Amino acid sequence: MDGFLVIDHVSKSFGSLRAVDEVSLTVAQGEAFSLLGPSGCGKTTLLRMIAGFERPDGGRIIVGGRDITALPPEQRPVNTVFQNYALFPHLNVWENIAFGLRMSRRPREEIRSGVDRMLELVRLSEHARKRPAQLSGGQRQRVAIARALVNRPQVLLLDEPLAALDLKLRQHMLMELNAIHEQVGTTFIYVTHDQGEAMSLSDRIAVMNNGKVEQVDSPVNLYEKPRSSFVASFIGDANFFTGTVVEMQHEGYVRVSVEGLGSPLVLSNGTVSANQTLRLMVRPEKISLMLKRPPSGERVNAFRGIVEDIAYFGSHTRYRIVAGEHSILAQLQRSRFSGGDIDPVRGTEVWMTFHPDEGRVVMLEGEA
Amino acid sequence: MKRSWLPSLITLVVVVFLFAPLVVLVMNSFNASRFGGEWDGFTWNWYEKLWAADEVWESLAVTLKIAVSASLASMILGTLAAYALHCFRSWLQDVHQMLITVPLVMPDILMGMSLLALFVISGVETGLLTIWIAHVTFCLSFVTMVVLGRLQDFDFTLIDAARDLGATRTQSVRKVLLPLLLPGVLAGGLLAFTLSIDDYVITFFVSGPGTTTLPLRVASMMKTSRSLPVINALSTLLIGSTFLIAALSFRLQRRT
Amino acid sequence: MNAESGRSKQWLLTLPSLAWLGVFFVIPCILVIVTAFRPADLQGGVGSGWTLETIHAVNNPAYLPIIWRTLWLSSITTIVCVALALPMTFQMARVGPRMRQVLLLFVVIPFLSNFLIRIFAWKSLLHPEGPLTRLLHWLHLIPEDALLLNNVGTVLLVLIYTQLPFAILPLYAAAEKFDFGLLDAARDLGAGPWRSFAKVFVPGVRRGLISAALMVFVCSLGQYMIPQMVGGASDEMLGSKIAQRVFADRNLPHASALAAGLMLAVLVPMLIVAVWHRFSRKEGAA
Repeated sequence: MDGFLVIDHVSKSFGSLRAVDEVSLTVAQGEAFSLLGPSGCGKTTLLRMIAGFERPDGGRIIVGGRDITALPPEQRPVNTVFQNYALFPHLNVWENIAFGLRMSRRPREEIRSGVDRMLELVRLSEHARKRPAQLSGGQRQRVAIARALVNRPQVLLLDEPLAALDLKLRQHMLMELNAIHEQVGTTFIYVTHDQGEAMSLSDRIAVMNNGKVEQVDSPVNLYEKPRSSFVASFIGDANFFTGTVVEMQHEGYVRVSVEGLGSPLVLSNGTVSANQTLRLMVRPEKISLMLKRPPSGERVNAFRGIVEDIAYFGSHTRYRIVAGEHSILAQLQRSRFSGGDIDPVRGTEVWMTFHPDEGRVVMLEGEA
Repeated sequence: MKRSWLPSLITLVVVVFLFAPLVVLVMNSFNASRFGGEWDGFTWNWYEKLWAADEVWESLAVTLKIAVSASLASMILGTLAAYALHCFRSWLQDVHQMLITVPLVMPDILMGMSLLALFVISGVETGLLTIWIAHVTFCLSFVTMVVLGRLQDFDFTLIDAARDLGATRTQSVRKVLLPLLLPGVLAGGLLAFTLSIDDYVITFFVSGPGTTTLPLRVASMMKTSRSLPVINALSTLLIGSTFLIAALSFRLQRRT
Repeated sequence: MNAESGRSKQWLLTLPSLAWLGVFFVIPCILVIVTAFRPADLQGGVGSGWTLETIHAVNNPAYLPIIWRTLWLSSITTIVCVALALPMTFQMARVGPRMRQVLLLFVVIPFLSNFLIRIFAWKSLLHPEGPLTRLLHWLHLIPEDALLLNNVGTVLLVLIYTQLPFAILPLYAAAEKFDFGLLDAARDLGAGPWRSFAKVFVPGVRRGLISAALMVFVCSLGQYMIPQMVGGASDEMLGSKIAQRVFADRNLPHASALAAGLMLAVLVPMLIVAVWHRFSRKEGAA
């Protein structure tokens, strides 16, 4: 297997709980990679195994061609930015950053220039003599990053790096993290439960659930082409329908009969057979709403429903529409429907349409 | 919302109740009147008498010798005990925890009595050593409790962080855990020191001839009314030093 | 870290304190009980052989009033100390951090000051020629010949005085963690200040309350210096008898038998509290 960081069939159990279950991943050198999942999905355990705080029950971890599975944390070419930063409260900023270099007994001059360079990178040179308690949340975060990066790790692990910051600061630090990554070029592994964070920070994301990796892909593909309903619902909002394949068309399009709604045409992932029961997914913003029935055609999916709820968000408006026993979420940029200029209110009859390419077949829950 | 004045009043009464006897005692140490019933004028007389009382200073030396060595020993034992209690969960620690807490609520007379029984039966001559053993025994639990409180506030991811940055297990304890724990250990040591200096009952049971600690000396001085005002002077100095040590210990525990 | 090295590390860390307390706390306590069944020797030591004589000697109706006095003095001390400490710690937890430190220091200083000195301070305060006696005479609150010292009331007063910090400190630790927003909620829901204090604050600090009561009660049971210094001849407590048997009669077995009895009396409330703690923790977890 090639790749810079290789996780090879790694497992870890705590008692009867299988926290990480035969996970294999490959990360390229210099890549920004995220482990994304809800709490308890095993992402933190995986991170702690890469850092060396937990020993895997089975499998190997390889960094730059070297098997580090058996090494204690202090001997690994890996450094961590901890969730609550774990800055040493008895040391000042400068001493915190120097800690790793002092542990590896580098010459005094090298420590000094290394620390000063890092202070400049994270723009904290004037705070070098302050204690962590005197810093703001964002500054502490930057000290934690500098303290890890000064050791020139081959892989930098960041455990929920933005979770402890408030919203405004989080958006600022997001840009900053991307800038730092670009500047140092080290492989970054993020662990996060926030899909937005993962999407904007990383080149690729591994979505984890119940100790397993559900899908590894670029942010765009995860959103546009989720393979499982877990991925589809964890990243963004989604409407799901269960139905049976009634017609197989060319180029992978299939017509699926959904009880109480109709028979939409959608794009399959190629592994579908006739009469199979499967799950469809449509993103809310892919649905258009019209007051009149659109002209019928081969490639148009149109279904009638009643507006049940309207929520105005400024940049967009969300509608909950009831069709039979289905409750469907649609999201529009405008607060008016096409094909009419009345303001929609509760009880308005509308037509929902979406293009066959926007309806996707996802795996049923438990199907892997 | 209007707050009831009653808790404030009771607090005031309690503080006055706790301090009035001590204040009167301190005032009397400067009072020329022997019984302190009325103010007969200011005097340094009792302090001069105290200065000349060589046996008091000899006892102080004995007391300090015991207090320093007992608090050092209990600091070491108590820190180890607190660390074990914090890091492990097992039947052993349940037993350990119980052994640490029971002496905290054990009446002094029982501890003194049982240690005396041990020394008499095992034929150990009572003296400096037996007093030291007794003091370490009752200080140990207090130090453990103070250090344990500090450990509970300690963020153990700091140890992970140190390891992650290349520190070995030993280095992470030496460079991170110990410096952060030190104020707690010192506060525990100071508490042990004051407890050791002040103990009368337990010391009385396990002391031998020639080992008169300061409280034992005070007790024997109380039997002769001639030296009562001198006790006032000595008490004033002792209360003053207790105040200093307590204030120092407060500072140590507050700093992070 | 594998399980084997973890276990040996645990033993290594635990052994020093465990061994120390085993040798100098557990064994001595057992020895006290054992000694109660030994004969006395004339040098103030313990003779050889076994005997039930001391047990018979201790089982003496003359001890009954002393035991009774010890129990009621300790009970009243406990009630008064807790009753004073509750509003006091309530107040301490409500005031600002600076004032809180000052009040805490006010409690800690008498707590850490020498026990003898504190009794001595009362002794000189209540002395027939002392300031308080004179003040009360002058106010005509007490008759000319009244003695404030050497009676059971004085013993109780000084007991309360010395034990009060033992009640305040554990209660304060509990009150400090109490969420005072709950009181606002109780007032908001219509409870008066008294009701919210009794129904919300007191249950909120009940763990501290139990520790405080236990601490004061158990420590009061073992007192002997207070009755000796400020009490009269008829105000002895059980501790006084133990000290007398050791130092005046030099009869260690007899003293041990009394101490063993006191030890049982101390262990009973401690066990009740331990069981209660375990029970309430399980209840809290469920």
